[in-house]
Amino acid sequence: MSVLVRNNVMVEGQPWGRPMVFAHGFGCDQNMWRHVWPAFADSYRIVLFDHVGAGGSDIGAFDRERYSTLAGYAGDVLDICRELGLEDVVFVGHSVSAMIGVLAAADEPERFGSLVLVGPSPRYIDDEDYVGGFTPQDIEGLLDSMDSNYLGWSSAMAPVIMGNADRPELGRELTNSFCRADPEIARQFARVTFTSDNRADLARVHTPALILQCAEDPIAPEAVGRYVERALPGSTFVQLEATGHCPNLSAPDETVAAIRAFLGA
Amino acid sequence: MAPDAAPPPDPDLLGESAQDLYENAPCGYLACSPEGLILRVNRTFESWTGHDRETLVGRPFHSLLTPAGQIYHETHYAPLLQMQGAVREIALEIVRADGSRLPALVNSVRQPEREGRPAIVRTTIFDATDRRRYEQELLGARRRQQDIALELQRSLLSGALPEGDALQVAVVYEPAVTGLEVGGDWYDAFRLPGEKAVALVVGDVVGRGVTAAATMGQLRSATRALAGTGLGPAALLDALDEFVARHDVGRMTTVAYAELRLDTGAVRYACAGHPPPALLQPGREPELLWEGRSVPLDAGVGTGARPEAGTHLLPGGSLLLYTDGLVERRSRPLGVGLDELLAELAAQRDNLPADLLSGVVGALEDDRHVDDLCVLLAHRPGGGAG
Repeated sequence: MSVLVRNNVMVEGQPWGRPMVFAHGFGCDQNMWRHVWPAFADSYRIVLFDHVGAGGSDIGAFDRERYSTLAGYAGDVLDICRELGLEDVVFVGHSVSAMIGVLAAADEPERFGSLVLVGPSPRYIDDEDYVGGFTPQDIEGLLDSMDSNYLGWSSAMAPVIMGNADRPELGRELTNSFCRADPEIARQFARVTFTSDNRADLARVHTPALILQCAEDPIAPEAVGRYVERALPGSTFVQLEATGHCPNLSAPDETVAAIRAFLGA
Repeated sequence: MAPDAAPPPDPDLLGESAQDLYENAPCGYLACSPEGLILRVNRTFESWTGHDRETLVGRPFHSLLTPAGQIYHETHYAPLLQMQGAVREIALEIVRADGSRLPALVNSVRQPEREGRPAIVRTTIFDATDRRRYEQELLGARRRQQDIALELQRSLLSGALPEGDALQVAVVYEPAVTGLEVGGDWYDAFRLPGEKAVALVVGDVVGRGVTAAATMGQLRSATRALAGTGLGPAALLDALDEFVARHDVGRMTTVAYAELRLDTGAVRYACAGHPPPALLQPGREPELLWEGRSVPLDAGVGTGARPEAGTHLLPGGSLLLYTDGLVERRSRPLGVGLDELLAELAAQRDNLPADLLSGVVGALEDDRHVDDLCVLLAHRPGGGAG
């Protein structure tokens, strides 16, 4: 199985440009970057992909054990970089993929030139003095509520959701198709994401990093962004005016401008 | 047009002003800014949640949700609304003013900016209290069904394995994790009466679900009872054929059956349509036992007596019985799986029996666990460096 098929890798932009890899977070797929990556396509080589279990990835490649920690997802990022021969990568990771990028850059620092961390959080659950924003009960509640929301994904729809290469119109008819995911996999991804603790990994990273912090982000509050700033040597913290957790969708211009300023500096 | 028919009532006389329709609609109604700040709510929403509009207006919609709901809102709801312009049927819980929770189904449509009016997001909230309760019951029933089936399977596989200085038995049994239904794989190992010998069995009933599990239980008991009469492998399979045909249960079941003498290591074995047992002897390449083969139980072809064969388990040697879940994959021919099994046995031959078994299973098993997996390893201690 080719890595490029497994992760539904799309390559755009300039073949000889500096590579820019965009990684989506928990919830949806590479469409999360649709308003951001075109702004960089004139000078960068753009690489988009779906995590296994999301979007157009090969669901059959899901391996419960490999993806039982974020390291498995970081391994996929490195696989993609190796497969495409990427060097001096600008890695742009949203939400949990910010930490996936941190893990990848810690393991193979020579591949990465810059990290752009959009709404990063190294730990979502509070721990003594550390405020992540959530209690263990909150996260259990999330897993339960996902059960409620997947009731609509009846077994009759499963073959459609699992991807019909020969009948793509079936997929398009689905509502919420950008956030489609195999329920079992999504549940495990949710658990792995929201119970992970990558605080100790931050110190292993020396790649220049940009932290993009939204206002009123209920998932990654400002205190968490500031924690990442303190823990990542030489990082740059930028407070966006955008609110919520997805500035790549709600405020793409501001997001693009912040990334440009960081990369141009 | 029929002149006598009474004209339909003038809609204007129904007292349904737009204002009334909005305020007292049978659903909660919210208008939010594209950033999610509540701009306007209707009376229904106020009365359902206990929040009044003065406290609601200007507040982010997501702040009314449970912490779990806030995560779901930010990771699914808001992105979908941005990308599709609408979201439908999202299950969220709204926290009422008194702290209780309103299970709701939420739909939103983004109304783009036009003719000088700013863009807004229109949201309707449906009370889903009863529906959510019913969903919880259904989910609970599904989990219970799965638990019952697994429990049944476990109880049907009960019984202590024989142990002692002359024999070590290790087992791996992993039900498929996909789907709700249990399968019909089974294993067994027990002492034969009056003899210094044990019977080793691995079988595979066709089909899945509680029926397959119950069939497995019957065949397992029948095998035990028949083995106790001293038939030997071939005659035992013949008797099982008759059992299956007479009681119309478990047709096409496959079985590998072996009897091992603990004093001499002599092995008699027979396979009814089952993958060949593997033999790992000290100082030799691992091999598959391809003799003593015949069709699955009551397969409806051939009536002759089934064959059996013999071999010898040396001290320090191991005999492996397994179901096809260990070696068969849709993505590769069976022969490849069998070759891999032999290679793994050779590579891990110096491990202790339990480690050997878990090592081989770990290397060969399908991470997707689409099929049940049942492997039994009988090891004859001794023989020095084994």
